[in-house]
Order: sequence, then C-alpha cells, then structure tokens
Amino acid sequence: MNPIELTLGIMTAVGGFVDISQVVFAALAGSVFGYSLIWVFALSTVGIIVYGEMSGRVAAVAKQPVFNLIRHRLGLKLGFITLAASVLSTLITCAAEIGGLGLLLRYLTGAPYLLMATISAAALMGCIWVLPFKWIERIFGLLGLLMLVFVFALTAIDPPWEKIAAGFLPQIPPGLSSKELLNFSYFAVAIFSAVMFPYETYFYSSGGIEEEWGPKDLPTNRITAIVGMALGSLLSIAMLASAAQLFGPAGIGPQIPGTVALQTAIPFGPIGLVLALLGILFAVAGAAIETCMANAYSIAQFFGWIWGRHKKPWEAPRFTIAWVVLLLLSLAIVLTGVDPMSLVQYAIVFSILVLPLTYLPLMLLADDRKYMGKYVNGRLAKVLGWLFFVLIVLMALAALPLFLITSGGQG
Amino acid sequence: MRRALLPLLLLAGCSKGAETDLQYISQARSLGFEWAMVNQLAAQGKLTAAYVQTMRESLKEQLGTTASALTQPQSEYGNEIRALIAEPANAPAAELRTHAGKLKQIEDRLESD
Repeated sequence: MNPIELTLGIMTAVGGFVDISQVVFAALAGSVFGYSLIWVFALSTVGIIVYGEMSGRVAAVAKQPVFNLIRHRLGLKLGFITLAASVLSTLITCAAEIGGLGLLLRYLTGAPYLLMATISAAALMGCIWVLPFKWIERIFGLLGLLMLVFVFALTAIDPPWEKIAAGFLPQIPPGLSSKELLNFSYFAVAIFSAVMFPYETYFYSSGGIEEEWGPKDLPTNRITAIVGMALGSLLSIAMLASAAQLFGPAGIGPQIPGTVALQTAIPFGPIGLVLALLGILFAVAGAAIETCMANAYSIAQFFGWIWGRHKKPWEAPRFTIAWVVLLLLSLAIVLTGVDPMSLVQYAIVFSILVLPLTYLPLMLLADDRKYMGKYVNGRLAKVLGWLFFVLIVLMALAALPLFLITSGGQG
Repeated sequence: MRRALLPLLLLAGCSKGAETDLQYISQARSLGFEWAMVNQLAAQGKLTAAYVQTMRESLKEQLGTTASALTQPQSEYGNEIRALIAEPANAPAAELRTHAGKLKQIEDRLESD
C-alpha cells in the first residue's frame, strides 16, 4: 500500500481531532484536570476508529454513504430531523473553524481578525473549487502534520511519563468537590463528543466513494482509519499533557488558541511557535473544508442529488451551490462578531445529540449480510459498535444538563 | 427585626454576587497569568512580534469583557481586575503575576466559603 493513500484518514482525523475546539479544549482539560482525562481521548479514539472503519467499509462494499443510510433506515421524517440537527451543528462548527483561521492568521501576521477570516473563507472556496479531492486531502492532511511539533515539544519538556501512562486508565481524580465533579463530567462528555463529531464519518465515507473504493480497498480503509485516528488522538493527548505540565501549575486555563501555541515556544522558541501556528492553521483549514463538504454531502445524499468533487462543479450544480452557500453562511456567522470559542461549545453539545441517530443506521447496515455479504461486521466490530452505541446514548442524555449546570465547563 | 435582618440580607446578596462572579474571577486570573507568560517569553526572545502584539491585544480585550460581566464591579476583585487591565501591554511578568496571584487568593477564599 502506498503511504500517500493514508491522507484521507489523516485529513479526516487531523481535521476532526485537532479542529479549533479540540485545540483549546484539550489544553484546558490538561490544565484543569492534569492527566486524568487522557483515557477519555483514548476511549473515544477507539470509538471513532470502529465507526470510521465501518463507514469506509459500507462505502466500499455497499457504495452507500452515511446519509443515504440514515434516510433509508430512519425514514423520511426522523431522517430529516437528523439532517437538520446535523447540518446546524456542522455549520456552527464550520463557522468556528473559519473564525479560528482568522485568529491564527492574526497571530501570524498581526492583520485584522475579520479581514483574515474573510480571506481564509475565500481561499478555502478557491481550494475546493480548483483542487481535485485527492489534492485537497494531500495538502491539508500532510501540512496538518506540522502539528507533530506538539509531540516533540512534549518530549522536550521531559514530562512525568509515568503519570501520562497512568492517565490512560479510566479514572476520576480523587477529592473533587461536587462542582468539580460536574465540571469533570462535562469535560469527559465534551471530549467524547468532539472526538466523535459525526461530520468525520460523513466526510470519510463520502471520500471513500469519491475515490471509488471497492472491496479490494478494505485493508487500506482499516489501516487508514486506525493510523489516521490514532495520529489525531496522539496530537490531542500531547497538547493535553503539555498543558498539564506547563499551564496548570502556572494558573493558566487557556481561553484562546494562541495560548496553546506557547507550548512549543517554551522549548523551541520562535521556530516552534511558527510551526505550531502553521500546523494548527492547516489542521483547522482541513476541518473547515471537512465540515463544509460534509454538510454538502449530507444534504445532497439525503435529497438524492448528484454529488461529488470528482465531478466538475457544473456537473453537480445543486451540490456545488450547497457547499458554496454553506461556506458563505459560515463566514456570515463569523462576520457578526460572535466569539468562535463560544460557537464551539454549542457545536459540541448539538453534535452529541445527533450521534446516536448517525451511528445506529450505519451499524444496522454494516450488520446486514444482505448488503454487506462476507464483509458484514465481525464479532469484534459488532461488540465494540454496540458498546459504543450505548455509551453515545448515555452521553447524549447527559450532555445538555451538564452543559447547563456547568455553564459549558466554566462553573 | 427588619433592621436586624437588613445587614444579613445584604451580606447574602453580596455573597451570591461574588459566587456568580467566581467564574469571571477565575477567567481573569488565567488571563493575567497568560499575559505574564507571553511577556516573559517575549523578553526571552522566544516569540514573534506579530504574535506578541496580537496576544496582548486579545488578552486585554478578554479581560475587558470579563470585567464588564461582573455583577459586583466595585469589589476587591473588581478593583484587582481593573488594576490588571491598567497595566501597560509590555508590563513586567512579575507585576502581572502579582495581580493574577491576588485574584487567585480571592478565588480560593470564595471557593472555600
């Protein structure tokens, strides 16, 4: 297998894990609760690998992208509710990413935020219009890898590895007050939701169909899902662990993405800082494309329109109009002056409410021998799939009350 | 009786306000420490000029938003946050840490009440 074929998984994962919400959230989690939330990243990574692999397999074998399944399995009414909630949460996420790009370009150049956000949206539109799907994956997947500087920075500050290793075991830190316990629970639910953002599977499975995957590509799918998602998780855990080491003891709970980049400036100076900002910039740009395209894919697939970036824009006119309008709407949200970081909070809560309705139809089809033949879910995929489904439902039930009680982890 | 209850009611009101303000005190404390770290690393030549300028502007802006959200701006912590905002952009890290440290003490005190 050519390693370059992994770029779909890398872009999906880097854009899914290391979007603007996760950058701030992972660092905040580390600074407030030390290493004790690492296990939530690890657990949810297994979950997104399971569903990512499943969505790729279904795309390769049954040629069904996720939103086709949702409409057929849930029916028109429930399917439409899922579509509406998903489009709304993904639109908010896309707006947050574009706002994040504006902030990051401001850190790099000092130019005004709204101007930078507008230029970012124009550049993204140009990229999606001009570049073939494979090149979008390669450019944003590979340049997002600049974020590996966070892993090197963690190594350079010589953290307590034994505490990091212990963080992989499920735990609740001892001695928390009831208020802190609620905050910890909110962080756990929000991390779980942000890692398992449904747009990742919409984008990944549609990407598989764009690339004309067939059963022969299933080993690539499996490796891509595992390597890509594990890489995204590694980056998030590195940011969390660095924050636990550098920010928590210094009384800092990072509120803005610029603070997170200090993690690399401390050991490596201005070069580390610029690499971190560029890495986040490309990862967030990948996430912005991913969210915008995922929304357009979902709408087109639900209504049965012709879709795909492998077609010329005018060969799939309604799909093209959909992604252009969605990108412009996201920019319009940013231009109202709303804080991108607060947008993220709402996106996370909305997303987890959509998760059960996204993953249930996927699992039912992957379990259906009539469609999948010999590629039906094996025992491991079945057990893990249902286990994570139960977890997702529990998280979805807890998300909104926890969000309200803790004021989005602030109280 | 009513006269005797008044100070208690006022105290209860104040304590409720301070409790509501706790999240803003905590935000301001963090922003103060972030600002100090930026200035310390800038003094060591570890940051770029555009980044330093943008971070200082963002942090001050956020401190302003936090201060305006306080339910009791004329309080010990309100004064401390205003003192922090009044510091020049390139204030010494130690000075910024002193303000942020005082906010931390107030935060700890309110949390233990």
